Amino acid sequence: MEQQNLSISSSKKFLARIVLPFVILVVTIAAILNYYFEKKIVLGSANAGVYKVNRIITETHLNEVGFFGSSRAEGTFLPDSLVKDGFNYGIFGSQDDVICFFLKEECKKLGKTAPLIINFDLDGLDYSIGDQSNYIYNSGYQPVKSLLGSEYKNIFRIPFVKYSGYFEMYTKAYINDKLNLTRYTNKGASVEKIETSAAYFEELITRQLKAERVFKNEPKLAAELEQIIKSNPQRKFIFVITPYHESFFNGYSNIQDAENYLASLKKNTNVAVLDFSRINFPNEYFYDTRHLNLKGAFAFNRILKDSLSNYMDNEPKQLVPDSTTVN
Amino acid sequence: MLFNSIEFLFFFIVATTAFFLIPHKYRWFLLLAASSYFYMFFKPVYILILAFTIFIDYFAGILIENEQDKKRKKIFLIASIVSNIGVLAIFKYYNFFNENVSLLANSLGVENKLPVLEILLPIGLSFHTFQAMSYTFEVYYGRQKSEKHLGIYALYVMFYPQLVAGPIERPQHILPQLHQKKYFSYENAVTGLNWIAIGLFKKMVVADRLAVYVNSVYGDIESANSISAFLAVCFFSIQIYCDFAGYSDIARGTAKFMGYDLMINFNRPYSAQSISDFWNRWHISLSTWFRDYLYIPLGGSWVPKWKWLRNLTIVFILSGLWHGANWTFIIWGTLHAAYLIFAIVTKDVREKITPSLGIFNKYLNQVFVFSLVTFAWIFFRAENFEQANQVIAKIFSFDFSLNFAKIFAHQGPVNMALTFCSILLWVVIPFPKYKENPSRNVLFLVLITILIITLGKNGATEFIYFQF
Repeated sequence: MEQQNLSISSSKKFLARIVLPFVILVVTIAAILNYYFEKKIVLGSANAGVYKVNRIITETHLNEVGFFGSSRAEGTFLPDSLVKDGFNYGIFGSQDDVICFFLKEECKKLGKTAPLIINFDLDGLDYSIGDQSNYIYNSGYQPVKSLLGSEYKNIFRIPFVKYSGYFEMYTKAYINDKLNLTRYTNKGASVEKIETSAAYFEELITRQLKAERVFKNEPKLAAELEQIIKSNPQRKFIFVITPYHESFFNGYSNIQDAENYLASLKKNTNVAVLDFSRINFPNEYFYDTRHLNLKGAFAFNRILKDSLSNYMDNEPKQLVPDSTTVN
Repeated sequence: MLFNSIEFLFFFIVATTAFFLIPHKYRWFLLLAASSYFYMFFKPVYILILAFTIFIDYFAGILIENEQDKKRKKIFLIASIVSNIGVLAIFKYYNFFNENVSLLANSLGVENKLPVLEILLPIGLSFHTFQAMSYTFEVYYGRQKSEKHLGIYALYVMFYPQLVAGPIERPQHILPQLHQKKYFSYENAVTGLNWIAIGLFKKMVVADRLAVYVNSVYGDIESANSISAFLAVCFFSIQIYCDFAGYSDIARGTAKFMGYDLMINFNRPYSAQSISDFWNRWHISLSTWFRDYLYIPLGGSWVPKWKWLRNLTIVFILSGLWHGANWTFIIWGTLHAAYLIFAIVTKDVREKITPSLGIFNKYLNQVFVFSLVTFAWIFFRAENFEQANQVIAKIFSFDFSLNFAKIFAHQGPVNMALTFCSILLWVVIPFPKYKENPSRNVLFLVLITILIITLGKNGATEFIYFQF
C-alpha cells in the first residue's frame, strides 16, 4: 500500500515537474519559432518551391508572365532577361501534374491575358510532385491536398512540427536567395553557379550515352493539359523545349512520338512551340547533359528573348550580359 | 514500428500509461500484446517465426531442466540450437549459400539446381534468435531455472524495447524483472525520458545527417576524391555508432520508464585504447554472447597459443557472419580477428620498443584504434568487395583537388555545415542526471526536442542494425 502511494505521488511529481513545464515550454518555443520561420524563411525566398506554390495560389499579378516547369525551367528561364514582368514558377523534381496544377491556378486569375511559358521535357508527360516541402505550407488548400495525394500526412496540420525534416531545405533556399553563394537567382529562377569540370562532364556524357530514353505519355495528364488549353482560349501557351546536350538523344528510341505529341499540341490556336532542344551549345554551357549552367542559361536567354518578343507587349530589362562579357 | 516515428510516440504513451494503470498480474499480457503489435508493424506473418522459436525453446528449457541424463540433456540442447540456427539458415543464409554454390558450380561447369528463396529477412532475426538461444544455454549450464510461465518466457524473447535490435539479454537479468511488480518511479521516468531523448538525437540528428554524405559518396564513388572518400569512411564510423547506440539508448529508456533495466550495450567505444578494449565497449551484449557461448566453450585463452588464436578467428568470423550474409561482413570480422592476433603476437616486442609518451600515449592509442576500426567499417558499409576496394583506392589515390562539389559529395555546403554541426552538438550537449534540478532535465528535453524537429532528417529511416 505504501509502495502504491509512493507511486502515485511519484507520478504527480513527474507530471508537475517534468511533463507540464516541458509541454508549456515546447509549445511556446515552437509557436514563436513557427511564426518567424514561416514569415522570414519559408516564404522569404522567391526561388523556393513553397514560395512559388503560395504565390500562385494567393497572389494575382495581372501583367506577370509565368514560366512553368521542372528544374529545367527553374534553371533556365531568367525572367528579367526575357520579359518586362515575369516570374519563374519552375520547381525542382516536379513533373507535369505540378505544371497542370500551376496552370490551373494561373488560369483562375480573372482578367489576366499574359502568355504562359512552359518548359516541355522530352521525357514526356509524367507524375512527380518533387519535394513535399514545397506543399506543406499550403497543404490545407484542397487542390494542393489533391496534388499530394497519398503523400499528404496528418502531421502537416501541426504547426512547426510539420516542417520537421525540411528546415534544411527552406534554409538552403533562403541562403541561396539572399547570398547567391552557389546559385544565381532571379525572380524564382535558380541556376547552378558551380561549373562542372571537363573530366566529370565527360563521365556524365558516357553515362548518358549508355542510358535509354523513352518519350512517355500519361494519357490522363495529356487530357488534363489539353483541357486547360482549350478552356482558356484568351491565354497563349508557349511550350519551350530548352537545350539538351547532344548525347541526350543517343538512346532516344521514340523521338517521333514526342514530335507527334508537340504537333498535336500545336493544332490548338493558342499554342506555340519553340524547340531549342538540338541547339548546338558547347559542353561548357551545360551543368549536366540535361541542364544548362549559368553561362549556358545566359546564352540561351539571349536567343529565347528574340523568339519570345513576337508574343510580348513590352521589352524586358537588360539583365543578360551581352555576348562579349559572358565568355 | 520504428522508434523514430510518430507512430511509436503514440504507441509508447498508450502502452506505458496502460502498463501502470492495470494490475500487475495482467501486465505480462499487455506487454506481450504490445510487443506483438510492435513487431507485426513490420511484416505481420513473421510473428509465426517468433512463435516457432518461442515454443521450441520454452519446451526445450523445461525438458533440459527435468532431464537427469547428461546425454539426453545435450540432445535437447542441440535440438533447440538446430531449430534456432535452422531458422537463421533458411531466412538469412540460404540465398548467400546458394549464390556461392552457383559460383562454384559455374566454375566447375556444373549447373546449380538449388532454388532461390524469394523471402524478406525477418527484422531483427539474429537478435531475438540469439536471445532465445542464450536461455537454453543458461538452463543447460544450470545457471538459470527454466521459465514455466509461457507468457513470461514469450515476453523474454519479445519484449518490445529490445526485440528488433537488442541488447541481447540474458535470462538471469531480464526474467526476474518480468516477474517483479513495478511501480511508477520519478527516477525511472526521468532517466528513461533522458535516454530516449539522447537516443533519438543520436539517430535522427547525427546518424541520419551523416548518412546523407556517406550514402552520396558510396553511391557514386567514381565521382569522389580522396578528401570526400576519407570523410565518408570517418563519418560512417560515427554514423554507425550513433545509429546503433541511439537505438540502444531508446530501448533502455523505454524499458527504464517502466522500471526494467536493460544491459548497457555501448561504453564510449571510440575511446578504446586497444582493439580488445574496443570489443569490451562495442555491442557489449553480442560480444559477451560470443564470449560466453562460443569463445569459452572452445577453450578461450586457456589453451595453447595457436588454439587461442584459432578461437579468436572463429569467433570474429562468425561475428561477421552474424551481421549479414555477405563476404564483406566476413572480411570485416576477419580483419578484427587479424588486428587482435597481431596485437597478441607482437605484444612483447611492442612493449619494448614503444616509447612512453605520457598522456599522448592515450590519445595516440585512441586515434590508432579508431583508424583500424574505421578501416574495417569500409567493408561493413560496402555492398560488395569491389565497392570496398574502390573506396580504399579513392582514399589512396591522393586526389586532394579543391573541387567543392566533390568535397561536399554533391550535397552542398549547407549539408556539410550541418554534418559538422551535428557532430559538435553530440559532443558538447551535457547529459543530465535525474537527481539534478528538475528544470535542468526539462531544459535538456526541450532542447533535444527542438533540435530533433529542426535538425532531424526528413522521414523515419530504419536503423542499420535492423537488417541483422
